[in-house]
Amino acid sequence: MVGKQKVNKYIPPLNFSPVISTEVSLYRSGYPMPINYSFIMDQLHLKTIVYVGDKNKISEEYLNFLKEQMIQFVYIPMESCRDDGINKEIDKVLEMIVNVDNYPMLIHSNKGKHRVGIIVGIVRKILQGWSIASIYQEYGLFSGGLKDEADLEFITMFISHLEVYKDKMPKFVRM
Amino acid sequence: MESQNTTGGSHLPDVLEGKMVANDQSENASKIRNVPTNSEDDNDGNDEEEDDEEDHIYINEETESGREKILISHAPQERIVPPLNFCPVERYLYRSGQPSPVNFPFLLNLNLKTIIWLANEEPQDTLLEFCDSYNISLQFAAINPDGGEDDNPWDGLTEHSIINALQTIVDRKNYPLLVCCGMGRHRTGTVIGCLRRIMGWNLASVSEEYRRFTGSRGGRILVELLIEAFDTKIVEIAKDDAPAWLITALNE
Repeated sequence: MVGKQKVNKYIPPLNFSPVISTEVSLYRSGYPMPINYSFIMDQLHLKTIVYVGDKNKISEEYLNFLKEQMIQFVYIPMESCRDDGINKEIDKVLEMIVNVDNYPMLIHSNKGKHRVGIIVGIVRKILQGWSIASIYQEYGLFSGGLKDEADLEFITMFISHLEVYKDKMPKFVRM
Repeated sequence: MESQNTTGGSHLPDVLEGKMVANDQSENASKIRNVPTNSEDDNDGNDEEEDDEEDHIYINEETESGREKILISHAPQERIVPPLNFCPVERYLYRSGQPSPVNFPFLLNLNLKTIIWLANEEPQDTLLEFCDSYNISLQFAAINPDGGEDDNPWDGLTEHSIINALQTIVDRKNYPLLVCCGMGRHRTGTVIGCLRRIMGWNLASVSEEYRRFTGSRGGRILVELLIEAFDTKIVEIAKDDAPAWLITALNE
């Protein structure tokens, strides 16, 4: 290992962070760019990427990367928490999260602030039972202190309709 | 539990009129989606849930396939409170501010083996007692052991104490592991920043992560200089004892 210099080799995507880091790995970030691919490839070994956002044209580069890495890609169209039928879309994301077969998993939006912040907030609340104040604090860490009141209200009021197979449920889900 | 994914040809993305959809879906995923909703069992379940809203999880009768299914709608009744600035760093490695009694139920969920406390002063008695009763080893990585009366709580970490903390972090025997200081901002940020450098992260990304936790007054330039100047080769990493994610980062 000595003498092997790896200067500035890995560039994680914007606003990258683990969300769950136990026997399963769930990550969050902004939109992955080509400069981030080596990091994702070498360090995350993803099985699934979920994109919550409004860009329905996926670049050729990104498509190729997903294909080469054999990553299952799921696109969830989402403008904001005020979209029609948004609860159903979020339930789809949660459905992916409560199945151990989908890990390691990355959920990204464009900047990794608000849309991902909503998803993570809901995971913290519904699946892990975090206090609401802690959820707001975490949302604030990633949104640069900018708190969208509508987002926080949405997280607070959200109720899911999830049917989960118990034998596929990750251990971090609290009963 | 999860495999380092090298297989899975069936997980290729599918393009449909410019829209991406999950091509999967493995047998199980589609089963979940096609759950019959009008069976007797389910009706009973829904009624019960309306009657008793406090039950956020309803365990269904055995389903057709003979597997137990669970309905999740509300948050668990008992809420847990993570310490200030809590965040996962890597598998079974966490960072935060000083945990107080309100955070203990949360910490129990992490099954911690070790807590690294980055300060000269002792943490609150309650935390000492908590570690004692749950056999968590509390490691002090004093900021400046030789400072005596002259040290200040706002002093940065010395290189010596950074290395001390990192030697604990690179040994998987100490996991699950929490690194914390008073607010979980600068000292914790210094140690995690140096760890990211060992992992080969570029400096701008290390700083982005550090600043995320520093609150409204922002990052300290001295901390960032310390992270930048840190000689990553000083930390001795024994391959046999290191956590898997660190080996992965070093090998690529």
